[in-house]
Amino acid sequence: MTARQLSDLRKAVTAAQAIGDDRGYQRWAGIHGLPLPISCTHHSELFLPWHRAYLYLFEKALQERVPGVTLPWWDWTSGHEESIPGPYARRRAEGRRNPLFDSPIQPSGRINPRQSRTTRAPGAPGILPSPATVEAILDNRDFLTFQTQLESIHDGVHVWVGGTMESIATAAYDPIFWAHHCMIDRLWYLWQLRHPGAGVPARLLDRALAPFPMTVRETIDVTGLGYDYAASTAAAKGPGHG
Amino acid sequence: MVERFTSKPIELPPADRPFERADLIFYGLDHSGASFEGQVFLDPRGVGRDAGTAHRAYVGSFFIFGHGGCFGDIGHCDVPQERDPFDRRPPHQLEPAVRILTVTEAVQRLLEREAQAAKVTVIARTPAKEPADVLAFETVRLATYA
Repeated sequence: MTARQLSDLRKAVTAAQAIGDDRGYQRWAGIHGLPLPISCTHHSELFLPWHRAYLYLFEKALQERVPGVTLPWWDWTSGHEESIPGPYARRRAEGRRNPLFDSPIQPSGRINPRQSRTTRAPGAPGILPSPATVEAILDNRDFLTFQTQLESIHDGVHVWVGGTMESIATAAYDPIFWAHHCMIDRLWYLWQLRHPGAGVPARLLDRALAPFPMTVRETIDVTGLGYDYAASTAAAKGPGHG
Repeated sequence: MVERFTSKPIELPPADRPFERADLIFYGLDHSGASFEGQVFLDPRGVGRDAGTAHRAYVGSFFIFGHGGCFGDIGHCDVPQERDPFDRRPPHQLEPAVRILTVTEAVQRLLEREAQAAKVTVIARTPAKEPADVLAFETVRLATYA
């Protein structure tokens, strides 16, 4: 992630936090958990498609604040000695409060009424998932088995971060939630590249992903959603058509 | 809800029937309460109360990202026991979970020791690493794939 991309992300999150209506950060965080209804789909066959739709629409909301901003992924298989990644671990950044360090929690989103901001209590760095664990999961040829095993290590990272992240009801208020889920979504994308003949069972493709205006089928192809997971990217202008 | 559970012995596959992969599959896992790590042990005699990840019978962990309790009124978190086949609404949020733990090498080691069955022990630990009464599931199954 370049310094410019990180700065844009901070600007976008700050701007989204400043909006109190249905375009704002609090509304997006609240879709996952509190306030009721809890809409996220966990421990079900729709876990990966639902969260892909969620990330896609949240990123679109951020892009309305800062055009071109993208959500990064947190590769928790590397940099274990770092614990929480630096951009999310520092209280201050660019001379002001770092919006990726923590977040307010709206009153209707709290388990404890007095807990007005997100917290973390990370575990020992060495016990985050290893590359070997992820490789074994990516080797699964069956989507549902892959998804079930991926969700378990996903759950483990929520437990590892601790604090606000360890409960379904509050997790999405923590800004690191989005980076964690981008990593999960990226692993699904890598699995799709590794097993081009496999995929989501046909019986699930037309299932709706409430409350989002999308079906499972519409989440299958990330390039169709306008993003991918490039390790790096660069571009140069062509001659144009003038 | 319990903090630990040891199953009755589960039959291992015959030693003369090779397999490429062995999975322990947990069905009907509850995820309504606190998040936890389920540390899993596979041993013919079971394991003691203090077993941890350094124990020789430890075969891996599954994780449950829990709802953390019920935030609605009475009945909000009751999972319907029957479902109308024409009901197009999404399933209840607390429909039980499945977890799949791949334990191929552990089963092969047990077979090398001429074990014919093994007990599955699960110890639930919350993020604070303390045992906690959050564990409930219907069935655990050992499946091997050739």
